[in-house]
Amino acid sequence: MTTFLRLGFALFALILIAIPLTAGNEYELRLFMLFLIYGVIAVGLNILVGLSGLVSLGQAGLFALGSYTGAILATRLGFDILFASLGAAVVSGIFGVLLAYPTVRVRGVYLAVVTIAFGLIVENVAIEWQALTGGTTGLTGIPSPNIFGFPLSGYPFYGILALTLFVATLLAHNLKWSRYGRAMLAVSQSETAARSIGVNATAMRTLAFVIASIAAGVAGTFYAFLNAYISPDIFTFSDSVRFLLMVILGGAGSTFGPVVGAYVLTYLPEHLQQFALWQKFAYGALLLLVMFVVPRGILGTLAHLFRRVVKTERGVNPAEGTPAGETLRQGERIQKVELLARDLTVRFGGLAALSRASLRVKPGEVHALIGPNGAGKSTFVNTISGFYSPTEGSFELDGVQLGGRKPHEIARLGLARTFQNTELFGELSVLENVMVGFQQRLDYGIVDAALRTPRFRRQEKECRSAAIGLLDLVGLMEYANEQARFLPFGHQRRLEIARALAAGPRLLLLDEPAAGLTTQEIDELDAMIRRISALGVSILLIEHHVDLIMAVADTVTVLDYGQVIASDRPAVVQDDPRVIEAYFGGSLNKADQVGAVA
Amino acid sequence: MTTSFQYLLSGLAIGGIYALVALGFHIMWSAAKAVNFAHGDTLMLGGVLAVLGVDAGLPLWLACLLAIVAGGVFGVLLERFAVRPFTGSNTSIGWMLTTIAVGIMVESLATMQFGGFSRPLPSPGIERAVNIFGAGVYPQELAIPCIALLAMFGFRALQQRTLIGRAMQAVSHNRQAAALMGIDVNRVVAFSFALAALFGAGAGVLVAPVVQASATMGTLLGLKGFAVAIIGGITSAPGVVIAGLGFGIVEKFVEGYISTAAREIVGFGSMIVVLLIFPQGLFGKKEVFKV
Repeated sequence: MTTFLRLGFALFALILIAIPLTAGNEYELRLFMLFLIYGVIAVGLNILVGLSGLVSLGQAGLFALGSYTGAILATRLGFDILFASLGAAVVSGIFGVLLAYPTVRVRGVYLAVVTIAFGLIVENVAIEWQALTGGTTGLTGIPSPNIFGFPLSGYPFYGILALTLFVATLLAHNLKWSRYGRAMLAVSQSETAARSIGVNATAMRTLAFVIASIAAGVAGTFYAFLNAYISPDIFTFSDSVRFLLMVILGGAGSTFGPVVGAYVLTYLPEHLQQFALWQKFAYGALLLLVMFVVPRGILGTLAHLFRRVVKTERGVNPAEGTPAGETLRQGERIQKVELLARDLTVRFGGLAALSRASLRVKPGEVHALIGPNGAGKSTFVNTISGFYSPTEGSFELDGVQLGGRKPHEIARLGLARTFQNTELFGELSVLENVMVGFQQRLDYGIVDAALRTPRFRRQEKECRSAAIGLLDLVGLMEYANEQARFLPFGHQRRLEIARALAAGPRLLLLDEPAAGLTTQEIDELDAMIRRISALGVSILLIEHHVDLIMAVADTVTVLDYGQVIASDRPAVVQDDPRVIEAYFGGSLNKADQVGAVA
Repeated sequence: MTTSFQYLLSGLAIGGIYALVALGFHIMWSAAKAVNFAHGDTLMLGGVLAVLGVDAGLPLWLACLLAIVAGGVFGVLLERFAVRPFTGSNTSIGWMLTTIAVGIMVESLATMQFGGFSRPLPSPGIERAVNIFGAGVYPQELAIPCIALLAMFGFRALQQRTLIGRAMQAVSHNRQAAALMGIDVNRVVAFSFALAALFGAGAGVLVAPVVQASATMGTLLGLKGFAVAIIGGITSAPGVVIAGLGFGIVEKFVEGYISTAAREIVGFGSMIVVLLIFPQGLFGKKEVFKV
């Protein structure tokens, strides 16, 4: 944590301690407690919106779920605030998993509508299920909060709320700067790339949903205790909008942003009251203003300005790096690997992009896959990395069947890839891009991450130095702290290779790595491929540049119209008449014959 | 039997409204891959302005016409100032929040002008109920689903027979390619939002005699119209219209046999279920995933 953030947390703690001392009356304190509750919701929602890039407009539904669960547990079963909120956390957490399920298939605006629908359903279930929820009249007589039998009124209750918000903010911050936070950001910026290096995108989105749901649920219980009365009309669609706005206004993805946003939007209605009739209008106008003037949010904008003024070091110290050779050796595991694809057929509608293509990458070799445009090279690559499923045929890595597995599972078995159109995590730094690649090799749990245990610190340090070592291998050391999207094109390609290597592949798949590079860059690529190969990684290279292929490949396989027409040493393939025909059309002789017949 | 028939007919009426609103969502989505979350407020504007127009002494037809035109203007302005600045980015959160913001503002303005109460729009269509097999309905209610179907066929004719219609299809297939072919994409998108808003405001004028016009009438109708668009498949115009009519009928039955709250639970619940089984809606086209 930087000094800056330490100061931030100290200041935050100080404010939380000072407020009850300065609060003039009970109403003021109560309003501040309301802010603390909203703050918890916003901090949780920030994980979903700020890190995973998913929009929820149904947070009021989860808030209501937590509120009703807590209230019912307290009134019917006499639970204290601790157990009531634990119960609420469990219930809302389960609904978080359910809400995350649709993200497997739908995103963006569709997901937003699912969450809106969820919020409306909860609201109406609360109205309809009168026996449990009291229907439209709501639940009254919620006991004043107590814990283990000790009553909590006034300041002690305040203390619990303040502590909860402080701890939640700290944990969310720690989570962001761990493998979980990195993976969530990666999934939101390029899901395809994240999956290709072993990140389980669905698991990350589910985790984000569960965290946001639990936060809303616990906050709901606190709200029920604070208010002593709840009814369905407290949890409407416009509350969901307000919770989302708290995150956006404060700054999505930032540590204190949601807290600031919650503060502003808790107190704003008080100030807008002077506009009387115009109150709602002013609220809408403010929302509009935020989106146009500070779309990054208050703290996001401040951080952005800060970074422009105070330049950070662009590069990193090479001495911190672990040599790439050590990283790629991966302990005692066998290095060399064999990829075997048998009779792969992929059909898109009536078109066979691949028909019965077989290919064998021998252990430790550099195998080039070439072919004219539309020959099926990309389809082949996308199939063996798990993005397309083959119509027929099988493929395996060292005898392990890969068919039917998801991309991240295939990546974890030792196959990592780059992309023809580079797919970087644009807003992460160059170093972080590579560190995401290490995801599957870090095994600290979420508790380690949240509490920053020694295990977490040790693994993160190792991960960082290994990433630096890989950046050294591809020559990007001096850009380590730069945002990946600002790199020139040639460097982006290299970064993709480093990131793929971080996943610890035994077979590296390079999809047209030379496309768009200058001659000099291609020479460097040539050298890089040799270096990687020398470290024992098998390489499957999809390429157009004949010079590069002839220079580095041990075996060349040629695809044409989805079929393998040759597979041999480069020199042999170069002279194969069928290959020449595929590339240059029919031979002169044939053309003459055709002409004679006509 | 008579009750069921009654539910069927009233369901078709409200379903026609959903269909018109959903058709608007379809048109906006096709043009910009973005929608207007204040579309429900466009509907509200149609209904409320028509009532205010009649109040001001305008003849009914003129009041309705002006209300619909005003709705269309609203759609164009909203697209230009709230949607277009945010369609470039890859998240949808920008235009979602700006259009919600505009919706809040419009709704609060309408509350100030119109007061907090609901009033029906006088219409010859609700002067006398007609009796069909024992079910009493207003001619207005019978007209609504017919107008929704007409709107769908009219829209289809527009797409197939006019230059602007073909341009709309081109833009929805591939925005960049359309721009390279010399189509002014921004104008096509603006036109699409205007057309969608005309349908929305038209739905408001049509529904105002049946349910009462009020400043808050649009919120739930708009959300349901969106749900319907997603159930039907937002890429398919006939799909959303069929889904709208079906949704309206199911709603009336649930409302009649259980309760209003159950109606919302079943309605929105079925949307989630449909989305899980058919991510592109019942009649929508699958969006192709490319690596």
